[in-house]
Amino acid sequence: MSPLTTARRSGTGTMVLIALVAVGMVVGIAAIFFWVPTANCLVPGVADGQPCFDARPDYIQHIFYMHVPIAYVAYLAFGVVLVGSLAYLKTGRRRWDILAHASAEIGVLFTGLCLLTGMLWGRPRWGTFWTWDETLTLTFVLFLIYVGYLLFRGLAADPTRGARIAAVIGIFGFVDVPLVHFSMVWWRTLHPAEVVINPAGPQLPASELITMLFLLVVYTGLYVALMLLRTRLGRAEEALAEAEAALEERPPPRAHVAATP
Amino acid sequence: MRKMFLLAAKDLRSEARAKEIAPPMVLFGLILVFLFTLNFPPGAGQAPVPGPVVGAVGSRELAGAFLWVSLLFAGILGFGRNASTEREGNRIEGLLLAPVDPAALFAGKALANFCYLWTLEAVLLPVFVLFFGVPAGLLLPGILLVALVANVGLAAAGTLFGAASQYVRARELVMPLLLFPVIIPLVLGAERLTSSLLTGGGLGSQSRWFILMGAFDLAIVAIGAVAFEFIVNE
Repeated sequence: MSPLTTARRSGTGTMVLIALVAVGMVVGIAAIFFWVPTANCLVPGVADGQPCFDARPDYIQHIFYMHVPIAYVAYLAFGVVLVGSLAYLKTGRRRWDILAHASAEIGVLFTGLCLLTGMLWGRPRWGTFWTWDETLTLTFVLFLIYVGYLLFRGLAADPTRGARIAAVIGIFGFVDVPLVHFSMVWWRTLHPAEVVINPAGPQLPASELITMLFLLVVYTGLYVALMLLRTRLGRAEEALAEAEAALEERPPPRAHVAATP
Repeated sequence: MRKMFLLAAKDLRSEARAKEIAPPMVLFGLILVFLFTLNFPPGAGQAPVPGPVVGAVGSRELAGAFLWVSLLFAGILGFGRNASTEREGNRIEGLLLAPVDPAALFAGKALANFCYLWTLEAVLLPVFVLFFGVPAGLLLPGILLVALVANVGLAAAGTLFGAASQYVRARELVMPLLLFPVIIPLVLGAERLTSSLLTGGGLGSQSRWFILMGAFDLAIVAIGAVAFEFIVNE
């Protein structure tokens, strides 16, 4: 099979995945707006069906069906950066580096979205867009670490060494996360407790749980689709750089005498 | 181990002759401490600690944070300079040709940075006590323990990220961007412990911060020793 056919075939698979994700997104959004009950508080300790802090229905809470999967994709992406970085340092294979780089970009994007959706919820619920809560601060630090990682990759003078150093940064960035987490927890915290992963079993009604899990799957699909596109772009960039390098090494072609009229 | 001390001694000896790292570092630190303490009202250091009012932060608590921010900013000058001396004239290649493990190279550089930090603190701490007017008895000897735990991690992180940022364009800009986010646990810990000392809380009730900072030190030293060869080798 020629490389072109392989590329085309993997392209078809990606398109199918993107289509599935698009349909899933529409279904998920419909479920968020029309199926999941409103006026049901996610804050622990508030009885089922009771409003959170005021008498109005808690429409704002619906943003969690987007916020939670986005946050999960961000963590997943940074986990993949760790795996890709370790594998690249061990094997020296370029594709691991391309994987880590792609995943870091998607991770930064989703961390940014996670901060944004969190702020949109925080403003009406906490009365402020931003507060120095531990989870918020941790997410922001993660954002900074991986923006630094991407910045480093963009400025590296030598691509091979740059990739190796970026891998070291990617690994340490991830190892640092639990440490930053504890330093934030001991500072102070305000973030709602986890209600899905809970020792006493999920604390959500069925429709909410199904919607949440469904969107987690959809977002995982979105992540995979973005990764497929981005790694393909990375390989293409690499092939282009190689071709350019080969072109420079070749002696310049003899100038043909072009008869200009 | 012996190689590590030799390498650090080489750095310190060349610094003793050139005097291009420690004096600017200390002077910059002095300027920062001066600028920060200038913002406190006179006698803020002697003022009684405010009660447990939510949102109210006493001058002494803030002063601990300012002290560490000053140390950090001044320290990063030294880290960057210490790393870039090896790049100038490709001295790093000579070091790599020598029969030295990259881990020993990392440890030697980190040890030199560790010494620069102590030099910096030896000047800044008395000046801080003087300018801010806080009783020195509150800080000593606890601050030495805090500084020890913080310096290990700072020196190791400064060495690793200092070396990493040698291979990019605009390296003076990149290094703080890489370094500051990752050392947050260390800096928060040092600030909290110093504030605790300044407000008379002591260190006994804050031992978990020592565990956190110790964990950070272990992680950065281990990763630095293993990963340094990926950074400096061709």
